[in-house]
Amino acid sequence: MTALKLLSRTKLYWGLIAIFLIGMLGSPISSKGNNIFLSYGNLLDVLRQVSTTGLIATGMTAVIITGGIDLSVGSLMAICSVVCAMLLTVPGVTPGVMLGVPTVAVVTLCLGIVVTRFIFLNLARSRAGADAARDVRLDRMRGLVTPGIVGVILCCLVLWFLLPQIETKFGVLGVLLVAPCVGLLFGALNGFIIVGGRLQPFIVTLAMMVTALGIARLTAGQNNAVLPVYTGSNATADFEILRSLVFGIIPMPGLFFLGAIMIYGAVLRFTPFGRYVYAIGGNEEAARLSGIAAGRVKIVTYAVSGLLAGIAAVLYVAQYRQGKPDAGAGLELDAIAAVVIGGTSLMGGRGSLTGTFCGVLIFGLLSNILQLHNINSNLQLVLKGMIIIGTVLVQERNAADLLSYLRLPLSPVRGGQAAHNETAAAKRPSQETPSLNLGGNKK
Amino acid sequence: MDHESSRSQEHSAAGPDRSDIVLSAAHISKNFGGIAALADVGFDLRRGEVHALMGENGAGKSTLMKILSGVYTSYEGTVHVDGRPVSFAGVRDAEDAGIAIIHQELNLVPELSVADNIFLGREKLIAGLIIDRKASSRAASALLQRLGIELDPEARVGGLRVGEQQLVEIAKALSMSARILIMDEPTSALSSAECQRLFRIIRQLAESGVAIVYISHRIDEVMHLASRVTVFRDGRHVLTRAMAQLDENAIISAMVGRDLLASSQEERDAGGGTVLSVSNLSLSKPDRHGWRTVLDGVGFDLAAGEILGIGGLLGSGRTEILEAIFGASGGRTGGEIRLDGQPVDIRSPRDARRLGVALVTEDRKTQGLHLQASITDNVALPLVGALARFGIRWRAGEQGLARHAVKALGIRCEDIDQPAGTLSGGNQQKVVIGKWLATRPRVLLLDEPTRGIDVGAKRDIYDLIFKLARDGLAIAVISSELPELLHLSDRILVMADGRQTGILSREAASEEAIMRLAAPRRTISRPAA
Repeated sequence: MTALKLLSRTKLYWGLIAIFLIGMLGSPISSKGNNIFLSYGNLLDVLRQVSTTGLIATGMTAVIITGGIDLSVGSLMAICSVVCAMLLTVPGVTPGVMLGVPTVAVVTLCLGIVVTRFIFLNLARSRAGADAARDVRLDRMRGLVTPGIVGVILCCLVLWFLLPQIETKFGVLGVLLVAPCVGLLFGALNGFIIVGGRLQPFIVTLAMMVTALGIARLTAGQNNAVLPVYTGSNATADFEILRSLVFGIIPMPGLFFLGAIMIYGAVLRFTPFGRYVYAIGGNEEAARLSGIAAGRVKIVTYAVSGLLAGIAAVLYVAQYRQGKPDAGAGLELDAIAAVVIGGTSLMGGRGSLTGTFCGVLIFGLLSNILQLHNINSNLQLVLKGMIIIGTVLVQERNAADLLSYLRLPLSPVRGGQAAHNETAAAKRPSQETPSLNLGGNKK
Repeated sequence: MDHESSRSQEHSAAGPDRSDIVLSAAHISKNFGGIAALADVGFDLRRGEVHALMGENGAGKSTLMKILSGVYTSYEGTVHVDGRPVSFAGVRDAEDAGIAIIHQELNLVPELSVADNIFLGREKLIAGLIIDRKASSRAASALLQRLGIELDPEARVGGLRVGEQQLVEIAKALSMSARILIMDEPTSALSSAECQRLFRIIRQLAESGVAIVYISHRIDEVMHLASRVTVFRDGRHVLTRAMAQLDENAIISAMVGRDLLASSQEERDAGGGTVLSVSNLSLSKPDRHGWRTVLDGVGFDLAAGEILGIGGLLGSGRTEILEAIFGASGGRTGGEIRLDGQPVDIRSPRDARRLGVALVTEDRKTQGLHLQASITDNVALPLVGALARFGIRWRAGEQGLARHAVKALGIRCEDIDQPAGTLSGGNQQKVVIGKWLATRPRVLLLDEPTRGIDVGAKRDIYDLIFKLARDGLAIAVISSELPELLHLSDRILVMADGRQTGILSREAASEEAIMRLAAPRRTISRPAA
């Protein structure tokens, strides 16, 4: 019984292990007799390939736990990839600069205010002592003036760092600042419309998906232009760092993905914000009536989803050496599939980033295995679709459920029970329950 | 009276006439994750009887009924229908055997018509393809007529009152030619007039030979209606007897072994200073035709240590008063609310919580609890942010709150990490109350705090409310049950049609006085207790 429980609780990892074993045992062997699947280079490739999808799935997980969905991430990634490539390769005031720099200014201003208020609030709480039921409020100075000043200073610092780069070209730090901020702004906009307009996340983010694709194309200039990025020739050499191996072990995109999973995972697990995310998905009405700012929490999940799409865009540009308006096409669906394979419920309230991590890896290993066997890419799609259904079935239903779907009789169990009942009926006389009619039993 | 005749009928049929037994279950046991929900219980049902099944929440009534109706398919023991052993693989099997269940939460599609709902899944078709609206409408109206229900078969179910929806469920069950009808708490959301109509129909069905299992907490109803009673306690069978051999006290003691309203209210000092003062409160909510006034000119003072009862019919604006004070009304409010003499502006539940106002909502499942989350997570929810330091949750503090709530309120549970959904109704309600007490409010608003919970837990809640009032909380409580309202309240505010029709002092309050104020224009028939 407990072994079965353990098995069902860890079934995520079993899926991952199973697919790993399949890959290992079925792997083609190189001419030197090495297992290609297990080779270091191949596994690194897998990690590199899943990183963009993984980052997006990370943001998507929290959104889905609140009971929402974000279809716009692919298009947000497209905008950010175009902005990123443009800043890297074209000097002067380009559409990328016009979109990116003011966004960074606004975002850093808001961030400065929020962070300062957060620090003051917690200092005040520590001073107030352990009585949580007493409400702590900030005075005007700590609540508004000082955070405002900090925000403006932060904003100025960032602009002081960015503005000189407009004349030349942006470096890696510059784009790593601008692209995520652009994503964050659009993501937050998603959230504001959903919360403010009380609209379905599906339709709002679907509209944003279309709108953002348009903006990406407009920013890129000529219709659907591809902006190539060649480090060393038309872009600064330091951008190459995003393609490198960190400590010679982990590819940089993989590090971003792992970092995002771990940080956001800790946030969902250990912070009040994380608790609210689950509470809203579980019962939004109850959460709201408990005095939780449900709207604000939801906006943040969409904003973070956009932010991670922005980071994914920079990694995409580094990896494919280009930014283009159709960069993230279809990515949102891959991300949703990975999240759901990871055991997160589309109904909300249930799920985890560990699950998503496994889901992303299962997805990535699967593609890799199919590629190693040179399976026709169209057939790959068919197999992938079927495997998604299979995995989700195993995730959502336990074995007994699956069997009863097929109406398979669990005959040994039933038979055993019946025998037990016979003896039980024989042992217990009927006086305990006067109305019980045992005669019917023997017929 | 017709129930007298059905009772005498039951006496004559009391002998061991086996052919009369349509359903029998023997030695049924069922475990949920190691906890026994049912332990070796037996139950049988005769043709044409109304058999009441009683017990506190968590006694195992619903579990047994879910087994009999094919919802749960794995259990120990045997079930016989008409003397033949059966093993249902699903609800469909049970329906084929003539067993239909009407759950407490109705299973109707609000957007479909009455007729469509009745024949859902078994539509009357033309040429096997197209839904024959005329035929199904005709069949539905014939069915409704047979039951003596005046309902338009073409009416949209979502637009009907709960009581009428209940009748649609009954019609649906009968359309499947059910011979055994299980009703789980059918009156929990009905007005007294609707209850009367339901009772009439139940008696009529029993006379026509349908065997009815009637699950209810309301003892007066059961005494009125049933010919036999079975009582469960803690998953075990306690007794099965003819109604005539039992009285109210015998049933209560079989269920809990205690007496409910026996704890008379102790003397309290309700003369503390005024905490909450509401004047000229009004509320309008948006609907299809613009803004509709749902509250007008409500005003009252509430002192520390006082319990103000709020009475009135469903839809009279009782709940809206509390929602308006709590900032959860979703409409435009007018008037003035003062806390400790200071005017306050409560725009959201967040504001209310900060000011020390707490609302325990009417429907704990949709508004009060996150059912999959643990007791700890539910109790600590409003304070998670306040307990955290620099963004990190303080788990130990949250667990402390939960442990305190479990101890102080006597929540029966295995441990504080147990999902709230696995608790019985009464204990779930205590979790909701515990959540709000953790925020240490000064004003506690309770909306139907004992709805759908069992007798024992009810008494716990009464004792708790008295204790909180003694501790100086200002409490406002809504209840549909007049004896409860009279038992709890120092004063009773009565609402009718969104207006306050009076505030009765403890001396002036009586069931009749409340009903007079609650229904200024209509005459109300109370169920004969």
